Amino acid sequence: MMKNHLAILAFLISLFPSCDEPVVDPTSSGKKKGMIGVSLLTLDNPFFKIIGDHVAVEASKSGYDALVVSADKDIAKQGNQVKDFIVKKVDAIVLSPCDPKSIVPIIQEANAAGIPVFTVDIPCQEAGVKIVTQIATDNYGGGKEAAKAMIEVLGAAGGKVGVIHFKQAQSCILRVKGFREVIDAHNAGGGSKVEIVSELEGGGAKDIGYKAAEDALQANPDLRGFFAINDPSALGARAAVEKAAKADQVVIIGFDGMPEGKQAIKEGKIYADPIQFPEQMGVQVVQAIVRHSKGETLPAEILIPTRLYRKADADKDAALK
Amino acid sequence: MKNTLVRALADHGILLVLLLLCLFFSVVTYSEQSPTGAKAFRGVAEAVFERAGERAGVLIVASNQPSDSGFAEGVEREMVRRGMSVLGVVRGEPKDARDALVRVSSEGARLDAIACTQSAGAWRVFSDLGSDFPALGAPIVILPQSYGWPNFLKAENLLNISNQIAVIAIMAIGMTLVIISGGIDLSVGSLLALSAVLVSWFIRDFAGGVNATIFGMLWASIMAIFICGVAGAFSGFLITRFAIPPFIVTLAMMLVASGIAFTLAEGQSIYQIPDSFVWLGRGADLMKLPNAVVLMIFLYVLAHVLMSRMKMGRYLYAVGGNDEAARISGLPVKRVLMFAYISSASLAGLGGVVMASQLKSGSATYGNMYELYVIAAVVVGGASLSGGVGKMMGTLIGAFTIAVIQNGMNLTNVESYTQKVVLGVVILGAVMLDKFRRQK
Repeated sequence: MMKNHLAILAFLISLFPSCDEPVVDPTSSGKKKGMIGVSLLTLDNPFFKIIGDHVAVEASKSGYDALVVSADKDIAKQGNQVKDFIVKKVDAIVLSPCDPKSIVPIIQEANAAGIPVFTVDIPCQEAGVKIVTQIATDNYGGGKEAAKAMIEVLGAAGGKVGVIHFKQAQSCILRVKGFREVIDAHNAGGGSKVEIVSELEGGGAKDIGYKAAEDALQANPDLRGFFAINDPSALGARAAVEKAAKADQVVIIGFDGMPEGKQAIKEGKIYADPIQFPEQMGVQVVQAIVRHSKGETLPAEILIPTRLYRKADADKDAALK
Repeated sequence: MKNTLVRALADHGILLVLLLLCLFFSVVTYSEQSPTGAKAFRGVAEAVFERAGERAGVLIVASNQPSDSGFAEGVEREMVRRGMSVLGVVRGEPKDARDALVRVSSEGARLDAIACTQSAGAWRVFSDLGSDFPALGAPIVILPQSYGWPNFLKAENLLNISNQIAVIAIMAIGMTLVIISGGIDLSVGSLLALSAVLVSWFIRDFAGGVNATIFGMLWASIMAIFICGVAGAFSGFLITRFAIPPFIVTLAMMLVASGIAFTLAEGQSIYQIPDSFVWLGRGADLMKLPNAVVLMIFLYVLAHVLMSRMKMGRYLYAVGGNDEAARISGLPVKRVLMFAYISSASLAGLGGVVMASQLKSGSATYGNMYELYVIAAVVVGGASLSGGVGKMMGTLIGAFTIAVIQNGMNLTNVESYTQKVVLGVVILGAVMLDKFRRQK
């Protein structure tokens, strides 16, 4: 009970100094720290954890406090978090939407409150929302890089390749689009032909990717390569290739650069990955907030390029065993 | 002395916990707020006058935030009244302020002061004026004096809390009925998702999508709630007819409902619904109270009357207290139980409609873990899981306790993982307190 009295006392004392003159002028606007509210899809996935951590670090470098919360893939929870950000009057809101469609009324609420909204990794392309800028991986460019790696590894012989897709995700559609364009351009240029003979749904997951790769191998026994749109489905494809005892015949290109994927590259199980840079996303979104606050005009989207990561990179990577 | 204290604590139980939480969050969210109103405008104009003189060139800047509305006009009026010259008025984003600064600087006018609101004052565009706009001289930035007030206690936030908990509180009414009757309903979270999917699916496929009429939307909502009620009736039937434990029946219903919701929605969210559909979840017609909150209050009054004034309420307590005795006394035990499960499922359906309205879309992923929050609200509110004990108002307080903890932790920057731990501990603490009261 004693503690309660203390709390009440503290409360009353804290109210006291507020009752003085209406105005002075604290000319120093740099004194007060701004606040950035960040609600990410999840923090269980290391990818988003890295984004969150880098937002926090970069924010404190730029004189902001960042409040990073996980929406746990629950759009209603994300909505509540944004409402709380609005009450706190944060200076900017960063979202990676749990659902790019259901997020619309939530972003509209932030718009109505006059708080600038930024997205990171997962864009929202719907009409009727005002987003300052959307920061995401250049998936299209990444797909192109994957195709270059495929052409490079197949060499003069060329051959048949299969794509393990995940069509629900806009990001994966862009990856495959980039991949196809470079392959087509290469084929048009003469020389060795790289032929995309199958495009199967891999669910972005190991088990479904495994089945898809198995089916592709059944249909095309002379398959020479797989492009899988992320690391789990690449690893699933690898398992299918091993089971069919075709590890020497079929090469695999993945995407993402998750720790497990990088490890597989180091062990030679995956040839290469266009890797994403969640660190960059975290840093860039804070820089975008600062630039917006400075009054600069920002592009509607800022794409972070991927980089091809091969065995040589993995061997130099201190983070791998 | 100690005993009186303990008794006072025990008698008020959970309400006391709620008040203490509110007090605690009021203290810790105490922060600077920007003032609005004529007094603030006059104050700012006065400060500009004192600091920069009568002939000062002044730029007035306000952000897009609703609390900033009226500031620019108010300050301008005050300054004009004093015969001072206003070089420009900006209302918008940092970019607009930069444009105005560029304009003033290119016109070669002397800028002595920038009067801005607290939120506009935080913009970085003003932080390096000297180096960014050397032509402007060294204007001073003048902000209204802020005053202290807890973020938690802002009217906006209190409404926010009520709105956030409305869905769970509505579902908790049904759960209270079921728990008082001695059962449990694990299916409510999934039924919420099913209802949200159903209502948006009906609107999209049968009521005309984005062009649906009010009648069509009403029909879709009623159908969704009705189907959930049927699911509840099915659970109730299995429980009363075959004496299968409610835990098992509703666990199965939870899986079935979730599966159907995912199937209907094809794993996507259904969003082709009219803008007017958000009226229920986001509108605020009655004295600025959100409609969902008004609905919640109405349902609680209704439920309170049911439990305290009507026969069905007494029956529920009797059945939950001792169903054998109730049966021998000639009470319609099966009907009472059916009533409880149908109510619970229908209210979950209503919760789903409200949530679909709040988010203007329906998805099978909604309502994940909600059954646990709903049960927690009921138990924290003083109902006993062994049946026969519980009050509607207790449940409402329980729901608010959970909402206040969640909101308070978001306002005080508590990390997501820690939030779960704290919530769990507080729920345990509240129930311990309740146990304590019971033993007295």
